[in-house]
Amino acid sequence: MSIRFPGPAAPALALVLASLAGAAAAHEIAGNRFFPATLAIDDPGVNDELAAPTIAMTKSGDEPPVKELDFSGEYSKRITEAFAISAGPTWTRLFAPGGPTGTGASGFQNLDTTFKYRFYKDPVHELIMSVGLSIEWGGSGASGVGADKFSTYTPTFFFGKGFGDLPDTVWWARPIALTGVVGYAIPGSARTLTFDPDTGDTGIELHPQFLNWGLSLQYSMPYLKSAVYDFGLPDFVNRLIPIVEASFQTPAANFAGTGLRTTGTVNPGVIWVSNYFQVGFEAIIPINRDSGRNVGALAQLHVYLDDLFPTTIGKPIFGGPVAPARPF
Amino acid sequence: MRYTTISALLLLSLRVDIYAAHAHAFLDHADPRVGNTVKSPPRAVALWFTQNLESAFSTIEILDANGARMNAGNASVDASDRKLLRVPVKVLPAGTYTVKWHVLSVDTHTTEGNFTFHVAP
Repeated sequence: MSIRFPGPAAPALALVLASLAGAAAAHEIAGNRFFPATLAIDDPGVNDELAAPTIAMTKSGDEPPVKELDFSGEYSKRITEAFAISAGPTWTRLFAPGGPTGTGASGFQNLDTTFKYRFYKDPVHELIMSVGLSIEWGGSGASGVGADKFSTYTPTFFFGKGFGDLPDTVWWARPIALTGVVGYAIPGSARTLTFDPDTGDTGIELHPQFLNWGLSLQYSMPYLKSAVYDFGLPDFVNRLIPIVEASFQTPAANFAGTGLRTTGTVNPGVIWVSNYFQVGFEAIIPINRDSGRNVGALAQLHVYLDDLFPTTIGKPIFGGPVAPARPF
Repeated sequence: MRYTTISALLLLSLRVDIYAAHAHAFLDHADPRVGNTVKSPPRAVALWFTQNLESAFSTIEILDANGARMNAGNASVDASDRKLLRVPVKVLPAGTYTVKWHVLSVDTHTTEGNFTFHVAP
């Protein structure tokens, strides 16, 4: 009996892509600050919205490398003003020499569901914090594209902080915002016993636990115009939010002998926001060979259902938009 | 046939809703302009938002550097342009002024914010 793992690159890329596809992002407002939905990492927002489609193109760090194309969508629904459930599928196309037979494969990844509760919001200091639980439902996807047979549970902490409270001497930095996420992925099964019918060998495939963490650094042109200094720039420019996202996965437990190490990507890009939707484009830059090869690309259309359909599907199931009790 | 009927009803309901769609009201621009310096004191501060506003629940507060309220009346939504909220102000000496706004868009979304402008000596 031996302990084995199918090479470090394949699971590493799967983790990277799973984190990209599972980014249950939601836009959020705290005082002057509008936090857009981020593309690569989840953000602290709780809202009614639809991210569809999200398209990602990457190339794995395997030898030979495998090109992968992902289409995903996600629907987020508020149950109350501060609690939402989101779910969405991801369809994956692995080009040759990927897949079990080396000729490519396609199919759905496991379905992801996220429960998120926003427990703190400070409009003055533009601070938001949320907690959540993401579940990847094992066996709901196609094994040919790497979907696990076991479920994975990821309790997660989210935060967002705008820097509008900086002093006048650094007024130019007030449009900056930082969001972050820290989660711990726990597979529902610690290992899988394997058997090779050709050789008769048996083995154990470990299912490591991972620390999933990431950040986004944003510079909000809408914030600059409406709260700091109106330069009279064109409307298109005033709707841009240049952004750099970073998403990492660090093996934390049950990975002895697997050769796994921290993987992740850094994604520079830009988001353009309107009153009802946003579009975003990012490059996907692997931080090391295990994380992928070459620069990939990520694009997303994100619709604000709470703004488009405020009286029907865009409001919480329990309690609607909160109207003030008295005139200000 | 059943799915066609259901789909048609769903699309109809969304279509009805989208005609009534109103997003959060964000500040589009202001007079005096956000962060800018004006040579002569303004008689009023005007804010244009991205959505129509409910007048009774929308307000502007003008504060000087010491926190003294400089409003000369109540803020009101313009009758012919419901995205425009305006408040008369007292004579403003040279200095920095903070504008605090809090508005309710017609779909009951509330938003708030603040910015400063300067009156030149």
